[in-house]
Amino acid sequence: MKVKIKRWNGVATWRWDIPEDDVCGICQVHFDGTCPTCKYPGDDCSLLSGKCGHNFHMHCILEWIKQDSAKGQCPMCRQRFEWTEQPNDMSMDTTHAPPEI
Amino acid sequence: MSAQFATKRLGKELQKIRNSRLPPGIELVSAENLEEWLLDIQVLDDNPLYQNQTYRLKFRFGSTYPIEPPEVVFVKLSDRPIPMHPHIYSNGIICLDLLGQQGWSPVQNVESVCMSLQSMLTGNSKNERPPGDDDFVRANQLRPKDIEFYYHDNTV
Repeated sequence: MKVKIKRWNGVATWRWDIPEDDVCGICQVHFDGTCPTCKYPGDDCSLLSGKCGHNFHMHCILEWIKQDSAKGQCPMCRQRFEWTEQPNDMSMDTTHAPPEI
Repeated sequence: MSAQFATKRLGKELQKIRNSRLPPGIELVSAENLEEWLLDIQVLDDNPLYQNQTYRLKFRFGSTYPIEPPEVVFVKLSDRPIPMHPHIYSNGIICLDLLGQQGWSPVQNVESVCMSLQSMLTGNSKNERPPGDDDFVRANQLRPKDIEFYYHDNTV
Protein backbone atom coordinates (compact mmCIF):
# COMPACT_ATOMS: atom_id res chain seq x y z
CA MET A 1 0.00 0.00 0.00
CA LYS A 2 1.23 3.42 -0.84
CA VAL A 3 0.37 6.31 1.39
CA LYS A 4 0.56 9.81 0.18
CA ILE A 5 0.57 12.50 2.84
CA LYS A 6 -1.46 15.39 1.61
CA ARG A 7 -1.48 17.54 4.69
CA TRP A 8 0.02 17.41 8.16
CA ASN A 9 -0.12 19.47 11.31
CA GLY A 10 2.83 19.76 13.62
CA VAL A 11 2.08 19.63 17.34
CA ALA A 12 4.57 20.52 20.05
CA THR A 13 4.51 20.87 23.81
CA TRP A 14 6.73 23.09 25.83
CA ARG A 15 7.70 23.80 29.37
CA TRP A 16 9.93 26.32 31.05
CA ASP A 17 13.49 25.15 31.38
CA ILE A 18 13.62 25.15 35.16
CA PRO A 19 14.48 22.26 37.46
CA GLU A 20 11.43 22.29 39.67
CA ASP A 21 8.05 21.24 38.44
CA ASP A 22 6.19 23.56 40.68
CA VAL A 23 3.82 26.46 41.15
CA CYS A 24 4.65 30.14 41.46
CA GLY A 25 4.64 30.82 45.20
CA ILE A 26 2.83 34.12 44.75
CA CYS A 27 -0.16 33.18 42.59
CA GLN A 28 -0.02 29.39 43.21
CA VAL A 29 -0.44 28.74 39.50
CA HIS A 30 1.86 26.29 37.75
CA PHE A 31 4.88 27.94 36.14
CA ASP A 32 3.75 26.74 32.72
CA GLY A 33 0.44 28.54 33.23
CA THR A 34 -0.02 32.29 33.29
CA CYS A 35 -0.03 34.71 36.17
CA PRO A 36 -3.58 35.74 37.16
CA THR A 37 -3.55 38.80 34.92
CA CYS A 38 -2.40 37.19 31.67
CA LYS A 39 -4.25 35.13 29.14
CA TYR A 40 -1.50 33.38 27.21
CA PRO A 41 1.40 31.47 28.80
CA GLY A 42 4.88 31.54 27.37
CA ASP A 43 6.83 34.55 26.27
CA ASP A 44 3.97 36.93 27.08
CA CYS A 45 4.06 35.85 30.71
CA SER A 46 7.61 34.83 31.41
CA LEU A 47 9.39 33.76 34.54
CA LEU A 48 11.97 35.61 36.53
CA SER A 49 14.65 33.64 38.35
CA GLY A 50 16.35 35.06 41.39
CA LYS A 51 20.03 34.60 42.16
CA CYS A 52 18.77 33.03 45.40
CA GLY A 53 17.37 30.17 43.32
CA HIS A 54 13.67 31.02 43.53
CA ASN A 55 11.49 31.45 40.47
CA PHE A 56 8.26 33.40 40.01
CA HIS A 57 6.07 34.63 37.20
CA MET A 58 7.63 37.95 36.26
CA HIS A 59 4.34 39.81 36.68
CA CYS A 60 3.83 38.31 40.16
CA ILE A 61 7.26 39.12 41.54
CA LEU A 62 7.13 42.65 40.12
CA GLU A 63 3.82 43.28 41.93
CA TRP A 64 5.57 42.30 45.14
CA ILE A 65 8.88 44.09 44.56
CA LYS A 66 7.18 47.42 43.87
CA GLN A 67 5.68 47.39 47.40
CA ASP A 68 7.67 49.33 49.99
CA SER A 69 7.10 46.56 52.49
CA ALA A 70 8.82 44.07 50.20
CA LYS A 71 12.13 45.84 50.88
CA GLY A 72 13.43 44.28 47.68
CA GLN A 73 13.43 40.83 49.24
CA CYS A 74 12.61 37.44 47.80
CA PRO A 75 9.25 36.30 49.24
CA MET A 76 10.68 32.82 49.81
CA CYS A 77 13.98 33.42 51.55
CA ARG A 78 14.04 37.17 52.24
CA GLN A 79 17.42 37.56 50.58
CA ARG A 80 17.76 40.51 48.26
CA PHE A 81 15.92 39.58 45.08
CA GLU A 82 18.21 39.99 42.10
CA TRP A 83 17.27 38.29 38.91
CA THR A 84 19.54 36.32 36.67
CA GLU A 85 19.63 36.53 32.91
CA GLN A 86 19.25 32.80 32.58
CA PRO A 87 16.93 30.35 34.31
CA ASN A 88 18.38 28.74 37.40
CA ASP A 89 19.32 25.37 35.99
CA MET A 90 21.57 26.70 33.26
CA SER A 91 25.06 25.56 34.02
CA MET A 92 26.71 28.45 32.27
CA ASP A 93 27.94 31.26 34.41
CA THR A 94 25.50 34.12 34.14
CA THR A 95 27.48 36.65 36.08
CA HIS A 96 29.52 38.72 33.75
CA ALA A 97 32.93 39.92 34.77
CA PRO A 98 33.24 43.68 34.87
CA PRO A 99 34.88 45.12 31.76
CA GLU A 100 38.55 45.69 32.07
CA ILE A 101 39.77 49.21 31.72
CA MET B 1 -2.98 45.12 40.31
CA SER B 2 -6.34 43.73 39.26
CA ALA B 3 -8.85 42.26 41.70
CA GLN B 4 -8.70 39.11 39.60
CA PHE B 5 -5.34 38.38 41.14
CA ALA B 6 -6.83 37.88 44.61
CA THR B 7 -9.84 35.99 43.29
CA LYS B 8 -7.76 33.55 41.30
CA ARG B 9 -5.27 32.98 44.05
CA LEU B 10 -8.03 32.31 46.61
CA GLY B 11 -9.71 29.98 44.13
CA LYS B 12 -6.46 28.02 43.89
CA GLU B 13 -6.15 27.82 47.67
CA LEU B 14 -9.73 26.61 48.01
CA GLN B 15 -9.22 24.00 45.33
CA LYS B 16 -6.10 22.75 47.08
CA ILE B 17 -7.84 22.58 50.46
CA ARG B 18 -10.76 20.65 48.96
CA ASN B 19 -8.47 18.22 47.12
CA SER B 20 -5.94 17.46 49.80
CA ARG B 21 -7.45 18.58 53.14
CA LEU B 22 -5.85 20.79 55.76
CA PRO B 23 -3.29 19.69 58.38
CA PRO B 24 -4.58 18.20 61.66
CA GLY B 25 -6.30 20.69 63.95
CA ILE B 26 -7.28 23.06 61.12
CA GLU B 27 -10.71 23.02 59.54
CA LEU B 28 -12.38 25.17 56.97
CA VAL B 29 -15.78 26.26 58.31
CA SER B 30 -16.94 28.42 55.44
CA ALA B 31 -15.58 30.02 52.31
CA GLU B 32 -18.78 31.06 50.61
CA ASN B 33 -17.19 34.00 48.93
CA LEU B 34 -13.67 35.09 48.20
CA GLU B 35 -13.72 37.94 50.71
CA GLU B 36 -14.25 36.29 54.05
CA TRP B 37 -13.40 32.78 55.24
CA LEU B 38 -13.94 31.14 58.61
CA LEU B 39 -11.66 28.46 59.98
CA ASP B 40 -11.46 26.53 63.24
CA ILE B 41 -8.15 25.71 64.81
CA GLN B 42 -7.15 23.51 67.71
CA VAL B 43 -3.89 23.05 69.57
CA LEU B 44 -3.08 19.38 69.38
CA ASP B 45 -0.36 18.96 71.98
CA ASP B 46 -1.01 18.83 75.71
CA ASN B 47 -0.52 22.53 76.47
CA PRO B 48 -3.00 22.91 79.38
CA LEU B 49 -3.95 26.46 78.30
CA TYR B 50 -5.65 25.29 75.14
CA GLN B 51 -6.66 21.68 75.74
CA ASN B 52 -10.03 20.56 74.41
CA GLN B 53 -10.77 23.97 72.95
CA THR B 54 -11.59 25.03 69.43
CA TYR B 55 -10.97 28.57 68.24
CA ARG B 56 -12.69 30.35 65.37
CA LEU B 57 -10.65 32.48 63.00
CA LYS B 58 -12.00 35.01 60.54
CA PHE B 59 -9.93 35.88 57.46
CA ARG B 60 -10.79 38.92 55.38
CA PHE B 61 -9.07 39.34 52.04
CA GLY B 62 -8.66 42.59 50.19
CA SER B 63 -8.25 42.91 46.44
CA THR B 64 -4.50 43.20 47.00
CA TYR B 65 -4.14 39.74 48.57
CA PRO B 66 -1.59 38.06 48.57
CA ILE B 67 0.64 41.06 47.94
CA GLU B 68 -0.80 42.47 51.16
CA PRO B 69 -1.71 40.32 54.17
CA PRO B 70 -5.27 39.24 54.98
CA GLU B 71 -6.90 40.58 58.12
CA VAL B 72 -7.06 37.71 60.61
CA VAL B 73 -8.88 37.83 63.97
CA PHE B 74 -10.24 35.33 66.48
CA VAL B 75 -14.02 35.43 66.77
CA LYS B 76 -15.85 34.79 70.04
CA LEU B 77 -18.85 32.45 70.00
CA SER B 78 -20.58 30.56 72.82
CA ASP B 79 -18.40 27.51 72.15
CA ARG B 80 -15.39 29.34 70.68
CA PRO B 81 -13.45 31.40 73.24
CA ILE B 82 -10.61 33.81 72.44
CA PRO B 83 -7.37 31.98 73.28
CA MET B 84 -5.33 33.33 76.17
CA HIS B 85 -2.00 34.66 74.89
CA PRO B 86 0.17 37.73 75.57
CA HIS B 87 -0.23 38.74 71.89
CA ILE B 88 -3.97 38.14 71.54
CA TYR B 89 -6.34 40.82 72.80
CA SER B 90 -9.62 39.75 74.37
CA ASN B 91 -11.52 41.15 71.37
CA GLY B 92 -9.73 38.66 69.13
CA ILE B 93 -7.17 41.01 67.58
CA ILE B 94 -3.86 39.27 67.03
CA CYS B 95 -0.48 40.89 67.21
CA LEU B 96 1.76 38.76 65.00
CA ASP B 97 4.50 40.11 62.73
CA LEU B 98 3.55 37.67 59.97
CA LEU B 99 0.16 39.40 59.66
CA GLY B 100 1.60 42.92 59.48
CA GLN B 101 3.11 44.75 56.53
CA GLN B 102 6.58 44.11 57.89
CA GLY B 103 6.44 40.37 58.34
CA TRP B 104 4.08 39.33 55.56
CA SER B 105 5.24 37.54 52.42
CA PRO B 106 3.02 36.72 49.42
CA VAL B 107 4.07 33.08 49.59
CA GLN B 108 2.14 32.76 52.85
CA ASN B 109 -1.39 31.44 52.55
CA VAL B 110 -4.44 30.62 54.67
CA GLU B 111 -3.01 27.25 55.63
CA SER B 112 0.41 28.59 56.60
CA VAL B 113 -1.15 31.41 58.66
CA CYS B 114 -3.30 28.89 60.55
CA MET B 115 -0.24 26.73 61.20
CA SER B 116 1.70 29.75 62.48
CA LEU B 117 -1.15 30.59 64.85
CA GLN B 118 -1.28 26.99 66.05
CA SER B 119 2.42 27.07 66.82
CA MET B 120 2.15 30.52 68.40
CA LEU B 121 -0.35 28.98 70.86
CA THR B 122 1.54 25.71 71.29
CA GLY B 123 4.69 27.51 72.31
CA ASN B 124 3.03 29.75 74.87
CA SER B 125 2.94 29.08 78.62
CA LYS B 126 1.69 32.46 79.83
CA ASN B 127 -1.95 32.64 80.84
CA GLU B 128 -2.03 36.36 80.09
CA ARG B 129 -3.48 39.04 77.83
CA PRO B 130 -1.30 41.78 76.31
CA PRO B 131 -0.52 44.72 78.63
CA GLY B 132 -3.26 47.35 78.39
CA ASP B 133 -5.82 44.87 77.07
CA ASP B 134 -8.80 46.48 78.88
CA ASP B 135 -8.05 49.97 77.56
CA PHE B 136 -7.28 48.74 74.06
CA VAL B 137 -10.44 46.68 73.80
CA ARG B 138 -12.57 49.55 75.12
CA ALA B 139 -11.04 52.28 72.99
CA ASN B 140 -9.94 50.66 69.75
CA GLN B 141 -11.90 51.66 66.67
CA LEU B 142 -9.26 50.75 64.15
CA ARG B 143 -9.16 47.79 61.84
CA PRO B 144 -6.29 45.42 62.72
CA LYS B 145 -4.30 46.42 59.64
CA ASP B 146 -4.31 50.06 60.70
CA ILE B 147 -2.98 49.42 64.18
CA GLU B 148 0.68 50.08 64.84
CA PHE B 149 1.47 47.30 67.25
CA TYR B 150 4.05 47.94 69.84
CA TYR B 151 5.70 44.69 70.74
CA HIS B 152 5.95 44.76 74.53
CA ASP B 153 7.59 41.43 74.82
CA ASN B 154 9.33 39.92 71.85
CA THR B 155 10.23 36.78 73.71
CA VAL B 156 6.79 35.24 73.26
